[in-house]
Amino acid sequence: MTRWSRLVPLLAIVMLVLAACGPSGESSSAAASEPGGSQPAGSEPAASGSGGEGTGGMNATGELFAYGFGYETGDIIAKTRVDVFNEQYSDVDVTFSESGFEDQGFLTALASGDAPDVVNLPRNSIGTYIARGVLQPLTDCMDQAGLDPNVFYEGARNQVTVDGEMYALPEFFNTRVWIINNAAFEEANLDPESVDFSDWDAIAQANEALVKNDGGLTRIGIDPKLPEFLAMWVRAAGGQVISDDGMESLLDTPEVAEAVDFGKSLIDANGGINEFSDFRNTWDFFGENNQVAADQIGAWPMEQWYLNVLAQNSPDAEITVKPFVDRDGNTLTLQDGNAWAITTDTDNPEAACAFITTMVAKDTWVAAAQARADEREADGLPNTGVYTANSEADDVIFNDIVDLSDYPSLQEAVQVVLDGQETAFGFPPSPAGAEFQQALTDAVNRVLSGEADAQQAMADADAEAQDAIDAAAR
Amino acid sequence: MATDQHARSVDARAIDRPDVDVKEPIDWGKVAFKVGFGLVLVLFTILFLYPLVWLFFASVKPGSEVFSGNLLPSVWRWDNYPRLIEQQPVLQWAWNSALVTVLASVTVTISSALVAFAFAYFRFPFRGVVFGIVLASMMLPGAVTMIPNYLIWDFLGFNNTLVPLWAGNLFASPFYIFMLRQFFLGLPRELFDAAKVDGANYLRMWWSVAVPLTRAALVVVFIFELKVAWTDLVRPLIFLRDIATFTLPRGLKAIIDNPSIGGEKHFELLAVGGILITVPMIIVFFLGQRYFIEGIATTGSTGR
Amino acid sequence: MATMVQGKEVRIVGGVPWTPNTKRETLWALVFLSPWIVGLLIFTAGPMLWSLYLSFTDYDPLRPDITFIGLDNYVSMLGDRRVSTSLFNTAFYTVFHVPLSMGIALFLALLLNRIGGKMAGFFRTAFYLPNVTPAVAIGTLFLLLLNGSNGLVNQALGVIGIDGPSWLVDPAWIKPGIILMSLWTVGNTVIIYFAAIRNVPVELYEAARIDGAGGWSQFRNITLPMISGALFFTLIINTIASLQMFSEVYTIFFGQQQGQSAGAGEAALFYVIYLFRNAFEFFKMGYASALAWVLFVVILIITVIQVRGSRRFVYYEGE
Repeated sequence: MTRWSRLVPLLAIVMLVLAACGPSGESSSAAASEPGGSQPAGSEPAASGSGGEGTGGMNATGELFAYGFGYETGDIIAKTRVDVFNEQYSDVDVTFSESGFEDQGFLTALASGDAPDVVNLPRNSIGTYIARGVLQPLTDCMDQAGLDPNVFYEGARNQVTVDGEMYALPEFFNTRVWIINNAAFEEANLDPESVDFSDWDAIAQANEALVKNDGGLTRIGIDPKLPEFLAMWVRAAGGQVISDDGMESLLDTPEVAEAVDFGKSLIDANGGINEFSDFRNTWDFFGENNQVAADQIGAWPMEQWYLNVLAQNSPDAEITVKPFVDRDGNTLTLQDGNAWAITTDTDNPEAACAFITTMVAKDTWVAAAQARADEREADGLPNTGVYTANSEADDVIFNDIVDLSDYPSLQEAVQVVLDGQETAFGFPPSPAGAEFQQALTDAVNRVLSGEADAQQAMADADAEAQDAIDAAAR
Repeated sequence: MATDQHARSVDARAIDRPDVDVKEPIDWGKVAFKVGFGLVLVLFTILFLYPLVWLFFASVKPGSEVFSGNLLPSVWRWDNYPRLIEQQPVLQWAWNSALVTVLASVTVTISSALVAFAFAYFRFPFRGVVFGIVLASMMLPGAVTMIPNYLIWDFLGFNNTLVPLWAGNLFASPFYIFMLRQFFLGLPRELFDAAKVDGANYLRMWWSVAVPLTRAALVVVFIFELKVAWTDLVRPLIFLRDIATFTLPRGLKAIIDNPSIGGEKHFELLAVGGILITVPMIIVFFLGQRYFIEGIATTGSTGR
Repeated sequence: MATMVQGKEVRIVGGVPWTPNTKRETLWALVFLSPWIVGLLIFTAGPMLWSLYLSFTDYDPLRPDITFIGLDNYVSMLGDRRVSTSLFNTAFYTVFHVPLSMGIALFLALLLNRIGGKMAGFFRTAFYLPNVTPAVAIGTLFLLLLNGSNGLVNQALGVIGIDGPSWLVDPAWIKPGIILMSLWTVGNTVIIYFAAIRNVPVELYEAARIDGAGGWSQFRNITLPMISGALFFTLIINTIASLQMFSEVYTIFFGQQQGQSAGAGEAALFYVIYLFRNAFEFFKMGYASALAWVLFVVILIITVIQVRGSRRFVYYEGE
């Protein structure tokens, strides 16, 4: 019994802690449910002295819960925009979920007695929610706010529009461009400027010239980024993976099979998917010794934000940025990003409308971009701007705020990105977007690993995806 | 304590090599065995320690070096720690986590020990069937019962509080019931009969005979649950909305989810968070493991 | 049924002779069981039955209407390629993971048992470390260790002349890679075995030593039988957990990994991952419930077989 007695003090301490914590646990939960108890410290508007309605154009008061967004944990772009809203609508109290969008979390939040009023979600998965009646049409809201739908790039607008109604307001705008490692091209006697990326044979030849193998792959020539960017390659070949309304799978088309086969041929020329992927996984993607700095890649299509990673981590590694193009040489890129929407469950639609329209308004973006520019300047870093889905905001940001005259190569790169904005396309609002992506991804992976041939695999995926869309569209 | 431990380990060694004799000449087979034993031990230790070591160095690296091939940072960035703590209410999160973890572990240990004892000691009708229900309740994947469960807590008014993170443990956990039942079954029945002769009722019998004799197992349960509650992310994600109520993993998740534009995730700060989560667990485990060695064989009060 | 107890005929209820003593013990058992019973009624039984009902419907959590569709969900499972693939993957994993993890855990527990003195606590803690190290760190480490081109595992294999496979890419090698990774968090099992070994009465070994039993014989005839209860427990629990494998694989192969997708596709599609995707990504909660109940029945059958099969081997001192 003696040794047991030594455990007793431990238990006693635990009990004490338990007793002491009980009330404080209560109080912390009470504070949480009490309105205002959750108000972010920084959200107290500077102009609240008047106690009036603020400067916002709409009549909005009360509380909002926003799912899928972080204020306290957000960066300066997130914080500034929320601050702008709080200043304009001092009578609205917004709480944020402080987490990224997750289907599971959003689902449970919707099921609770206190559903989110507004949500920030990826445009690629928005069709699923529109088809299920979770999101409100925004025509009235946009009228009220005086927000012209045409300020949004067409590619983004199409992603959130069903039967002529917009169900969400596009936020960021991520597009893809070719990033070329100049050192590799030079070594292969290729000129980054003259390689014709509209000619797939030329891409294949460049790939073979760029590959480096010293008893093992040491440099990938050209990475097609499959399955992620398949939709872009298929467009370049003149086809589509899915119809514009998101209701018809087009995976069983010659252009899709051709694009998959081409991608596979590029990867096979690098030693096949096993060696290719293994090697790619060794890259220090976000570091100083990234694949460009370490000369481990020739060229690849990539999201435009990666230019910032390169500019910050390996400013000495020379790159050329070129637009992704179709086979006729027309600029063509895949875009995505998030969007703001109002749930049908909201009990405060006025404030919700005021909030989401403010978050994507030109002035709000400009304020955020300016704050970021100031921050960059203070750190002595180049400011490459913020790519928004609001074309008017982009105009101001890239004409008046972003100044890259000291960084000519970055300036050129940013221009390439901007030139692609108008023609960028996105994944349409399909009621079974996630299942479509599953069918596509699994089929492409089967082809790349040699388990199936492209035509058969994509035909199977097509049947599977179409079944899913039909079932979800009921 | 230290002397007990020593005595026990001397015992164990003597048992494992019964024919050790100091005056014997050098037995090269035994030396080889010892060397092999040491090598295996060192190998496994390195294997198990490495990720933590990696995580620690990552937490003092500049952000751009976290995933570089080098284990050591080029510049030691100790300020990553104050950076994270100043940026976010990490201490508040840690406090919430500690509260939930202690409550969860204490309640589940006590309640599971009660229930497990019933299955191990009492003879009641359909005992096997009822125990089957305990096991069966572990067999349905949680994904499909998650939403109904969430709605029950919501209905009870505990959404957005810390309560759902631990209060379920008041009702015992099948895993621990099963585990403790196995240990209770290992106790000789005569011990309880003796207590009964002394006039103890069943609750006292449980508390003063069964619980002390299985304390190693109870400490194991306590430590297992500490880890589970301390690192739980699923429940905080669906139940907590207010940043002031966040637990540590929930707070870190918020930081991961909101990277700066340009994909710059602050992996070095996440590594700091990882260390803040891991180190308390290591300390608790280190303190708790001393109790593992006190099996019933050494208590001397077992009537043997 | 009835039996004779102390000369009196007594009814048998639920396998126990119904005597006044039994009555009292049953009452007390109810007292001891009450926390679990309350929890079962409030938090477990309802949701379980609800999900059973949902498995016969086309329930979509985002749509208000629920249509009863009979066995349709169960029938569609038969034609769903991903169900058979994920069942195979899960079974493959379980068949290798459970015995390997038990064997390694027992080996490590015996190793720990031999260590005395001041370092003992250090080693015990070290062996448990992977269980408390955040999954992110472990996932990252394994991407490094198992990398086909420069991973440590393949470098080690290279030393003995074996050209290691692509553990993280090649569909044929992804599952073995996952099994390797899983063996690394055996800490919980090690602790359970260690606690059980420490509970073996020293007197038994002393008696065996007097009888001249060697190390192996002591292990075989004393240690193993005396910890059979713990072995049985971990067998059942690890099997259930393996068949429900989710987080680790989901994090590495289906989550975002440093901005690069590992993209294992179907080779790493475990049953509960597919179930989870149906429930929360495709909103087919009815179908997911059917998947869940099929797994429930599979686990139930396997557990019953294990329980019956183990009966001969498990020794309880108290029985």
